[in-house]
Amino acid sequence: MHRVQREFLAHIPALAILLVLTALPLVVTNTYHLQVLIFVGIYSLLALSLNLLNGYIGLLSIGHAAFYGIGAYASAKFTMEMKIPFLAAMLGSGLTAGAFGYLIAKPTLRLSGIYMTLATLGFNLIIWLILLNWMDFTNGPLGIMSIPPPRIFGYMIDTRAGYYYLILFLVVATLLSMHCLLDSRFGRALTAIREDETAAETAGVNTTRYKIQAFVLAAFYAGIAGSFYAHFISYISPDSFYIFESFILLAMLALGGQGNLLGPVAGAAILVLIPEVFRFLQEYRMFIYGGVLILMMLVRREGLFGRDRYSLRWRRFDEKETVVYERGDKFLPSDH
Amino acid sequence: MAPLLEITGVTRTFGGLFALSEVSFDIHPGEIVSLIGPNGAGKTTLFNCITGTLPPSSGSIRFKGTDIVGKKPHEITRKGIGRTFQHVRLFNRMTILKNVMVGADYNGSAGILSAMFRLPRVRREEAANRAHCLEILGLFGERLLPRLDQHADMLSYANRRRLEIARALAASPSLLLLDEPTAGMNPAETQGIVELIHQLRDQGQTILIIEHKMKVVMTVSDRIVVLDHGEKIAEGPPREIARDETVIEAYMGGRKYRA
Repeated sequence: MHRVQREFLAHIPALAILLVLTALPLVVTNTYHLQVLIFVGIYSLLALSLNLLNGYIGLLSIGHAAFYGIGAYASAKFTMEMKIPFLAAMLGSGLTAGAFGYLIAKPTLRLSGIYMTLATLGFNLIIWLILLNWMDFTNGPLGIMSIPPPRIFGYMIDTRAGYYYLILFLVVATLLSMHCLLDSRFGRALTAIREDETAAETAGVNTTRYKIQAFVLAAFYAGIAGSFYAHFISYISPDSFYIFESFILLAMLALGGQGNLLGPVAGAAILVLIPEVFRFLQEYRMFIYGGVLILMMLVRREGLFGRDRYSLRWRRFDEKETVVYERGDKFLPSDH
Repeated sequence: MAPLLEITGVTRTFGGLFALSEVSFDIHPGEIVSLIGPNGAGKTTLFNCITGTLPPSSGSIRFKGTDIVGKKPHEITRKGIGRTFQHVRLFNRMTILKNVMVGADYNGSAGILSAMFRLPRVRREEAANRAHCLEILGLFGERLLPRLDQHADMLSYANRRRLEIARALAASPSLLLLDEPTAGMNPAETQGIVELIHQLRDQGQTILIIEHKMKVVMTVSDRIVVLDHGEKIAEGPPREIARDETVIEAYMGGRKYRA
């Protein structure tokens, strides 16, 4: 079979899922249901971005909501005060979050292990306090209201279905770009650092540089998610970006699994859906939320899709390396 | 010919303990030099000093004529010194092919953005890197090649050692440091490594090797450097070292200690 054909066939599962997701608004017309799906999208973006740090490079960042918040506030400021068009503002808020990522990564990566983790937590709290107290700039606890809906090439997005397609596009773009990136020397370097930092450094990997780059990249994606959130909800306040939000992201990674691109999306979907599906239980639904997490830790510590190589490829159509055993190699004692 | 590596008066202390004191020797291009000595003699410490993992307390190490003391390990690797570890250090949850590719990756130029959009340039670079790594894995016959997509932690002990050597070779180092490459291997496997070293020498590879198996040391070395208690006690071709009184004393326990 031709290589291009086989590549196409291997991608059938992914394409089928994409097709279903694209057609979904035709069936799901209930605005509440769509809203829930949009939140699955937002949290998928956030979990995927945190996955770069926690899953791939093995840095434990527990303050990721800070970048989410920076993206949201930056986007609101860009569109409302500077009158920048939506797409540029979204990119700009990603870059702003990325810049903050650089500022925090540069000094904290000198710390190792738990100290760096605590620094990210501290950073999250500082950002939250700034958003809460800098009345002139962020309007403090009152938040920023009536953020305009996105306008893309003159087309105003104001229906739930419109937002759904926008976030679907963002998630797919994130997945594709991350997939390409992680399958390159950049991705190999990140994984190598996670597996053995000394060996990675000895193999010529500039570990510090890659860590900073990963931090900036993760912050960038989170900033994009923040920008979408701001324009979707049209009202943002500091409480949406409190450390609790970071912990939810961590729970999503723990539940869905990390170190691949499926786990974070699965985790985000499950943890967004649980409180909604069990809404009839009122406040008690949080027990189910916690119960699912505890259950996961008991039966499958690495999460639903653990670190191993999970992908949506149809393996049947993968290229096989031709194996030639010439000397009965597999029977040699050293190979067992 | 100018030496490839010049080690001059290298000392490394841990508190009051001299792990290395005033060690000096040169390695010339194309040479295979063995570093031997009893356990705790400072062999691995010297490796760590050369590769920047553990900077020397004093002394100078010059590689290709430039001082490399104080450089970071990855910079030293990029200058052309590759190494393996005494206790194998692989990227366990990465495939065998990827393990080796990491070694060759610093040659690449693809940045984040071009990788994100998988530009044709990146594809070409990846394909070239892959081909290069397959060639290196081919040095080990069919030991590693049929297992390209297996995770490294699935490998047997001997294969893990081979993979580590492959990763170091992938960077096309001018100087290869091997830290006990045959440790834990049976005679047949050891012979395989000896053959590999000969093959590498024929390609002009310079190697500094730490080894305990005397048979290996005597077969592969052009020259032997002996360390004991952090000091160089002898240096010379294998035949001389085998007869050297001080070396025998260090290894066997000297006659002077006997009553």
